[in-house]
Amino acid sequence: MTVQTSARESYRPPYQVTNSAETILRFPFPFPEDSYMYSMNVEPHIRSGPVAAMHNTFDIDEHYVAECAEKARILQEDPKRCIVQPHMRAAEWDFVELAMSSLSDQYPQHFSLRREGQDWHWVNRLLGYEQSFVFGDATTLPLPPFEYMARQMQGDFTLHDQREDDLWMDGGMVTAQADWSLKFDLGMSFRQWHAPVPKAAEMGVFDRGLRFLLMLQHEKPVRRLNWTMTINPRLDTSPENFMVWGPDRASVTPDNVADKVHLRVELQTLYRLPRSNAILFSIRCYLMPLRDIMRVPKWRRRLHRVLRDLDPTLSSYKGLDLYRQTVVDFLAPYDDGAPLSSGIQPEVVQLEKALAPAA
Amino acid sequence: MVERSGYLAVIASVEVLTPTLRKFVLAAQGVRFPAVSAGSHVVLGFGSAARRYKNAYSVVSATPDGRELSVIVRRAPQSRGGSAFLHDQAQDGTPVTVLSSANLFPVSKTAKRHLLLSAGVGITPFLAHARTLEAEGADYTLHHFCRPEEKPAFVTLLADLPPGRVFIHDRPPEDAGMKHHMAEEGIATHLYFCGPEGFMGWVEQAAAQLGFVAAKVHSEHFFVPEGGKPFTVVLASSGQRIAVAGDETLLEALENAGVDAPCMCRGGACGACALEVMDGVPEHRDHVLTEQEKTEGRTILTCVSRARTDTLTLNL
Repeated sequence: MTVQTSARESYRPPYQVTNSAETILRFPFPFPEDSYMYSMNVEPHIRSGPVAAMHNTFDIDEHYVAECAEKARILQEDPKRCIVQPHMRAAEWDFVELAMSSLSDQYPQHFSLRREGQDWHWVNRLLGYEQSFVFGDATTLPLPPFEYMARQMQGDFTLHDQREDDLWMDGGMVTAQADWSLKFDLGMSFRQWHAPVPKAAEMGVFDRGLRFLLMLQHEKPVRRLNWTMTINPRLDTSPENFMVWGPDRASVTPDNVADKVHLRVELQTLYRLPRSNAILFSIRCYLMPLRDIMRVPKWRRRLHRVLRDLDPTLSSYKGLDLYRQTVVDFLAPYDDGAPLSSGIQPEVVQLEKALAPAA
Repeated sequence: MVERSGYLAVIASVEVLTPTLRKFVLAAQGVRFPAVSAGSHVVLGFGSAARRYKNAYSVVSATPDGRELSVIVRRAPQSRGGSAFLHDQAQDGTPVTVLSSANLFPVSKTAKRHLLLSAGVGITPFLAHARTLEAEGADYTLHHFCRPEEKPAFVTLLADLPPGRVFIHDRPPEDAGMKHHMAEEGIATHLYFCGPEGFMGWVEQAAAQLGFVAAKVHSEHFFVPEGGKPFTVVLASSGQRIAVAGDETLLEALENAGVDAPCMCRGGACGACALEVMDGVPEHRDHVLTEQEKTEGRTILTCVSRARTDTLTLNL
């Protein structure tokens, strides 16, 4: 994957984010079937899968530098987007080890790590960082260990302590969220932070999910995809900033729908951390405008069918009600109703020609 | 990421603690061991060409550089051969593979105070916990119970911990006034215990009588799967029939036949190996299934449980 080394992009007005053909084709499109409902769609996070975004432990793509810059800006405006409770110290170091070792193994051109006992040396060529430190000694890093490393990664991360047969959200850095708040959820149990989600609890999804995660084993991470939609390429759709982005939902018209409406996909991966016995939850967010999805025939047809038939409760919970019909009307002429293969793979190696830009 | 093959190691030293307890230090060969949290067990693979064993043992210590970890192994009287192999045949240089690790017995990180009670080989998870709690400056007390002749060995084993934190008793907990000590604990104390079944029952009952709430009571049953009557397991999907010998577990028989069966603790404590029983009657030996689930007989934990019938058909 080619990574741009400077942040030319903007995740705020005036928005400026573009996806290369490679980025579009590696997008983790979230719908394996023509209809969508909650399920236990968890699978082992092995280094393979139907799209390239799944092929690494932590996915780095062409937006890396821009996303890290946006994250730094959000943290400067609102430092409480990163909170770690004191009993999660060991988990912080677990995170540092997992992130540095997997990034340097899997992207040696961008990152390197030298370990001599507890003396570590980290190089991040994309952001121009170089740091010698003593693993386990927080005074040898310029920032607390979790914050130091989470700033150098795309996506959000939460740390979960396991006790009383439950998982507790006791730390994290959350700057690219789909309308939830770490400040609000901090210290909550698994069922508490999931309480706003409709239908899934009565379906038993959370009971099964929690039981599964309590037994998650070290070196056997798992993944799932989750999705919603976002107007404009905006990473920070937080409740704290709802006044800023909420009104955008009413701005979608047939003329701007292809550029404004983005499918927002979270590649969620979960890891048992060995020192702390905590669980790391990684939420890697991908924003893909309809204009780019249109270039993969299978994806545009399937997206049309899923949105057309979506359960109204889910549509409302995900905040799609103001513009869902506009999107469905836009996509309908491009769906001939032909049967589609199951699975999320694009089934093409080349993209179709882009739509003419909106007048 | 290390897949099924595990981490290669050799035994670096063997220390005889008591006639039935030995401490083995394992040295990583090449790749470092993963870090482990206090209370974790590792599943070790070892044995001869003729007979391979996979047994779970609590990690009593591990070096921060991932080069060494230590376990203490009790020679089980009804050993299916694993502990006997380690006691009789293992020596410096014997190869051992660390197949996996997991923590089914962590301390509650938010607890104000920890009371740790162990008996015999049940000390093993607490050797790691007490050192970690000590390093963190946490408030804890460890009471260990053993036979008089074993006391010097445990005194030596626990010598690096402050005397005010550790009490070694060569009498049973009832005679040592343990119930009185438990009664004096504050409402915020979390209680942890590990040891032989009789000891576990005593602590469980004392804790209930004294009003410890369930959420603050934590135990790890020290459980060695035992053998039994041979039987045949049938895999429903393929019709494959696998013989389970008297001295091997159902899980081991599945693994030896190349079946990728789920598992974690290998001691009937976690439930990860649960499989659906489609025909036959299981003989339950685990600590996970409820009495109702045991009576229904639709689920079996393959790591410890066996069959009452000659064949058992599993949904696998």
